[in-house]
Amino acid sequence: MSVNQLIFRNLKKNIKHYFLYVFALIFSVSLYFSFVTLQYDPSMDEAKGSIKGAAAMQAASVLLVAIVSIFLVYANTIFIKRRGKEIGLFQLIGMTKNRIFRILSAENLLLYFGSLFIGIFIGFSFSKLFLMILIHITGVSDIATLQFSSEAFIQTLLVFMVIYLVIMFINFIFIKKQTILSLFQVTSSTENTIKKISIWEIVIGITGMIAIIAGYYISTKLFDGAFTSINELAFAMIAILMLVIIGTYFFYKGSITIVANINRKRKQGYLNINEVLSLSSIMFRMKSNSILLTIITTVSALAIGFLSLVYISYYSIEKTSEERVPNQFAFQDEKKANLFIEELTKKEIDFSKIAIPIIQVEMNIEDILLSKVKEANFEVKNQILPVISEKSMGVNISENEVLFTGYSTTLEKFMSFKDDGEVIVQTKDKSTSLTYIGLKNDIVIPFKYTAGGLPTVIVDDRLFEELNNNKKEKIQLASSVYTGIDLKDNDDIVAADDLFNSLKLEDLNNESRLSYVRNQMSIMGLIMFIVGFLGLTFLITSGCILYFKQMGEGEEEKYNYTILRKLGFTEEDLIRGIRGKQLFNFGIPLVIGLLHSYFAVRSGWFFFGTELWTPMIIVMGLYALLYSIFGMLSVAYYKKLIGESL
Amino acid sequence: MSILVASKIHKSYGNKFNRQEVLKGVDLTVQKGEFVSIMGASGSGKTTLLNVLSSIDRVSGGTIHIDGKEITGLKEKQLAEFRKNNLGFIFQDYNLLDTLTVKENILLPLSITKTPKSEAHNRFSKIAKELGIEELQDKYPNEISGGQKQRTSAARAFIHEPSIIFADEPTGALDSKSASDLLNKLSQLNVDRNTTIVMVTHDPVAASYCHRVVFIKDGQIFTQLNKGEQNRQDFFQDIMKTQGILGGVHDER
Repeated sequence: MSVNQLIFRNLKKNIKHYFLYVFALIFSVSLYFSFVTLQYDPSMDEAKGSIKGAAAMQAASVLLVAIVSIFLVYANTIFIKRRGKEIGLFQLIGMTKNRIFRILSAENLLLYFGSLFIGIFIGFSFSKLFLMILIHITGVSDIATLQFSSEAFIQTLLVFMVIYLVIMFINFIFIKKQTILSLFQVTSSTENTIKKISIWEIVIGITGMIAIIAGYYISTKLFDGAFTSINELAFAMIAILMLVIIGTYFFYKGSITIVANINRKRKQGYLNINEVLSLSSIMFRMKSNSILLTIITTVSALAIGFLSLVYISYYSIEKTSEERVPNQFAFQDEKKANLFIEELTKKEIDFSKIAIPIIQVEMNIEDILLSKVKEANFEVKNQILPVISEKSMGVNISENEVLFTGYSTTLEKFMSFKDDGEVIVQTKDKSTSLTYIGLKNDIVIPFKYTAGGLPTVIVDDRLFEELNNNKKEKIQLASSVYTGIDLKDNDDIVAADDLFNSLKLEDLNNESRLSYVRNQMSIMGLIMFIVGFLGLTFLITSGCILYFKQMGEGEEEKYNYTILRKLGFTEEDLIRGIRGKQLFNFGIPLVIGLLHSYFAVRSGWFFFGTELWTPMIIVMGLYALLYSIFGMLSVAYYKKLIGESL
Repeated sequence: MSILVASKIHKSYGNKFNRQEVLKGVDLTVQKGEFVSIMGASGSGKTTLLNVLSSIDRVSGGTIHIDGKEITGLKEKQLAEFRKNNLGFIFQDYNLLDTLTVKENILLPLSITKTPKSEAHNRFSKIAKELGIEELQDKYPNEISGGQKQRTSAARAFIHEPSIIFADEPTGALDSKSASDLLNKLSQLNVDRNTTIVMVTHDPVAASYCHRVVFIKDGQIFTQLNKGEQNRQDFFQDIMKTQGILGGVHDER
């Protein structure tokens, strides 16, 4: 048989073996190619919006290459180890290592580039789908037909060529290092043999759990006012990261073994089938895979965390837009407001207008602040706050009272108010003490007047006049009257928005809410798409890696299934046990990843939006669902193994 | 009372065009409490016979009754059910799960039949004492010797008090001291518990511990020897003689 025939036969025989490797390849290529196609597509220009958007895409594609290449190298390592016996056999019949390497490379070349082209084809079809998703979430409406981009093609080809060379290099090293003997025992030497639990492991296990809990605890205190300076905050964040990552590693290294062992001791040797099957996996293998599992857990936690945060901001765009633009059209410049009103009247669009005079006043709010924030960086004794009259709000407030409204949720985390107390208002020459009667949620004036989210102060009209006459000129803003315009009929909003834009009224101080929301949607949408794409890639690659691991584990344990079936366990018994085992194997990294990201998101979500639970639960649920598909696939694989075992 | 009745067992492997008949009509009856060994040269079909009798493999023809129940027609699930209640196994390569301790391995058959825990512990301490492996109960299989592994395997076969135990070359991987040790224990248990044991072996010493030796040649029963009132030494001589006649492969010159 010539070498060529040998290669061909090998390929045919191994195609089943390599099925997953090929799948992994096609999958990586198609993801990468569709991403790059989008990146180069002219119709993306609008979605990309700015140079920042393009740069984000660029950075994401680099990250994508990193994930994909690590994944492919890992998959290759698993599959070359499985062929150890075959390589040993070639060596035994007198082939040189170089020759074996050449055979393997040629075989790989066919597989690799075959899948590469299939992947590019699939990737191209998928990029249309991705484009549609992108257009949907960014709200950018003109759909251009996608072109097959030769730039994207060449870039994909180049990237995967380099990965191919890396893989070949690793195979080369692998073959060089092997002796005939070690090749025959390659699979058994990769896993630790069964050992007794040592004191050291108990220490590691307990340390791990303590570290994780400590990290979580600090994270809940992070923005609670406990850390006030930037340096302290940065230090706390690094500490959390270190504690949680090291804790996770120790957790896999020791804690799981300890918990499993305590449970096992309790049974006094009388184990049921579920325990028998999951024991080896949980007690012995998780330990030897602890680095891999730590990486998977940490990166999934990052992915889920980022996705949740981005989705929180996307989800809260409508809400945050109200904070920034309280009416459909918000003007600080009265001239621009009048021009717009004139045009609206001409177009016969009905609207209502409010004009709110605002003055900035220094106040002492120390008495109504909850004590813990006293040392924060706020001038609580001389805090400048915007003041409006009760008339602008249509409420009634007596002369010695004061009502707050529209406090930003982010700031509220740092500086919360008591339910009652005294506020001292200072003007040029005198100070007046007023009774604080509470905080309302309505936002009435834009961001600009409230220094980015401080509450608006409502006072009696007579007091307002008095304050206005004695105001400190130095602290007043350029605009002292806010004009808000709302349309009577919401159907006119698009026409009015077009009018607003055609008059070129928009600047930082005069905004249309619709335009603002659209703009935010396209920015956040793009970010969400990129993070989501990377998250999905990572999810699928890590799921595949766990699945490959389970395949190997299953094959090693096939002998055990034979024994158990001889003893009289039915296939159903064993499969039930395997389900339990996979619940742990896939469930533990998933649950820990979810917990990590939950605490991460919880510590700082209020910087990103106004709603925590709905977006976070949607992201986590979707992640868990996609992830569990791999668990189910692995159970199906075990089913086959068990069926064959007797 | 006969506990195992096999009649006209045929077993062949391969497909329609390339068929190899391994068992060609074997009839065998085993009485309750008997210790029987099956001997034969390699390739004679003795392991196939054991696999078929013990329901691990299916027959191509013929019937097998164990404890009055016909097992040849049973479904896979019913067979598993039957195995866990009525059969015990000892294998040449021990077949212990190396992730479980000695005690956990031994208690496995009880966990399938859902025996109450206290009962399980009683049975364990009794059989472990009888086989002398009490000290080893918390050790893993890779920490103990071959002889100890095989005694563990034997304890697992006996613990659920099956009506019949099948042993496939139990001494095959043991040194002669451990082997005789194990065989003494097996005969002891055979007497004490009145358990039926069917053992496949190619070792005449091992066979001499039995009441009866069945010789298989080319898929058929060649002859049988009964120990009767003889002592083990004389029985051993008989077995050696018969094996000489059986003669392995004939010289084709």
